[in-house]
Amino acid sequence: MNYARHVWNHLKKDVRLEWRSRDSVNGMLFFSLLVVVVFSLAFDPTAAMSREIAGGVLWVVLLFAATTALNQSWTRELKNRVLEAQRMSPAPASALFVGKALANFLFVTIVELALAPMFILFYNLHALGQARLLWIVMPLGTWALVCNGTFFAALGLRTRNREMLLPLILFPVSIPALLGMMQATTAILTGEFEPNLWIRLLIAYNVAFTAACVLLFETVLNAE
Amino acid sequence: MNLSWMFGPSMEQRHLLYVYVLVWVVQGGYAAWVVWQWFRTKQEPRP
Amino acid sequence: MERSRILGSLAFAWLLLTLAMIVFATRLGLVMAPPDALQGNVGRIFYYHVPHSMLSLVWPYLNLAASIGFLYWRRRDPLKALSADALAIASAEVTLVYATICLTTGMLWGRVQWGIWWTWDARLTSMLLLWLLYVSYMMLRKFSSTGQTQTLAAVLSIFAAIDVPIVYKSIDWWRTQHPSPVFFSKDPDAGVDKSMMPAFVANIIAWAMWGILLIAIRYALERRRQALEQDAALKAIEDSLEFTR
Repeated sequence: MNYARHVWNHLKKDVRLEWRSRDSVNGMLFFSLLVVVVFSLAFDPTAAMSREIAGGVLWVVLLFAATTALNQSWTRELKNRVLEAQRMSPAPASALFVGKALANFLFVTIVELALAPMFILFYNLHALGQARLLWIVMPLGTWALVCNGTFFAALGLRTRNREMLLPLILFPVSIPALLGMMQATTAILTGEFEPNLWIRLLIAYNVAFTAACVLLFETVLNAE
Repeated sequence: MNLSWMFGPSMEQRHLLYVYVLVWVVQGGYAAWVVWQWFRTKQEPRP
Repeated sequence: MERSRILGSLAFAWLLLTLAMIVFATRLGLVMAPPDALQGNVGRIFYYHVPHSMLSLVWPYLNLAASIGFLYWRRRDPLKALSADALAIASAEVTLVYATICLTTGMLWGRVQWGIWWTWDARLTSMLLLWLLYVSYMMLRKFSSTGQTQTLAAVLSIFAAIDVPIVYKSIDWWRTQHPSPVFFSKDPDAGVDKSMMPAFVANIIAWAMWGILLIAIRYALERRRQALEQDAALKAIEDSLEFTR
């Protein structure tokens, strides 16, 4: 079986498990909605101001929402000692990582697609810059969060304070990416400056860290 | 060596003092902690 | 044993030398060097702040090298791997100490000189990020179950090393786009006058020697702990064996 087949199998498995309970996606959706409401109470922005802050708010919301779901994505491997089985199988370990990261990417994207209309409604948004670019920025940003998030969630899998450790490690490492996504989104919404630099940063970041995650996952899986 | 210029109420004087004392306290404190831990970690005589 | 006796005396000699150097450098900075032309005496913070900042960017590379060494030797030569890991944690803690001092003394200085405690420019943000990354490194070491700790920490160290330069550049670009409210000169050494050089160099040497001393004693402590763990593990295995002599 080739690598892509392995990844596809892992992806199918995760999506199927998620589809049966729909815990993660529902949890993320509701959490995001609540956070959006709280932010509106905090800032009560005018239309002009909301364009300035919506980019930042959106990614903060997604960051927190994704973090709540990421830990969960690995705990389902702990049940019935599935993780031990994964370790012993001859399939490449990184295929497990890529499959799971893609699954998480899918779930967060679903949340984003549901969140976008909410944002447009609550903040009376319409993009002044090139709205088309959002179709590039959103996936790039999401992948940056999800790729590192899945990796660090696996890193902290058998640690004591798992839920606390993930944001602690993930947030500092994600700062360049967060800056990139927020700036790019704000650039597109306000039309005041060019998002190109930030998009390039996101691409470079994704390439560097995806490579690091894929290469180092086997080490993490067999850490003992 | 007249060091009285260092002590005084102005922010410059206070912060200068804070900085130097802070460095001594942090560095000395860390070193002291390591040394204390060293003496606490008994070395078992091997049979 | 001969070796530990030699190392012990070497360490002691280094300690005395380092303390002498620190006293010497402090005296140069605090008393002998002339007060700063613009800032007056508060500029003397420079002699403690800048060496610590520069050194806090050196120890992380030691940590990175040790982490890579650990991952490399993990399966090939476990004993070397253990030494590498001891060096990794020693340099990580010392990085944290130096970075903490850099941030706090910088804030104290900034408050006096520029009226602000903090600003989000490239240099400060990257330093804060370095600090955060190493705090998370220490938390990972503390919370992970033994057996895995070393490997996971080594991996995190590699991520941190990739991340810090990217953060610096990205915040730099951000600030080029939205200039920070206060003008910061790019290079603190741009203003190093000849009269400041002796004190500056002396302090760099003194605090570098001190850092090496700290890493050495922390390394020794970690080795001692490792030996204790190994002995305990060996004893547990021996106890579990059913054979009697």
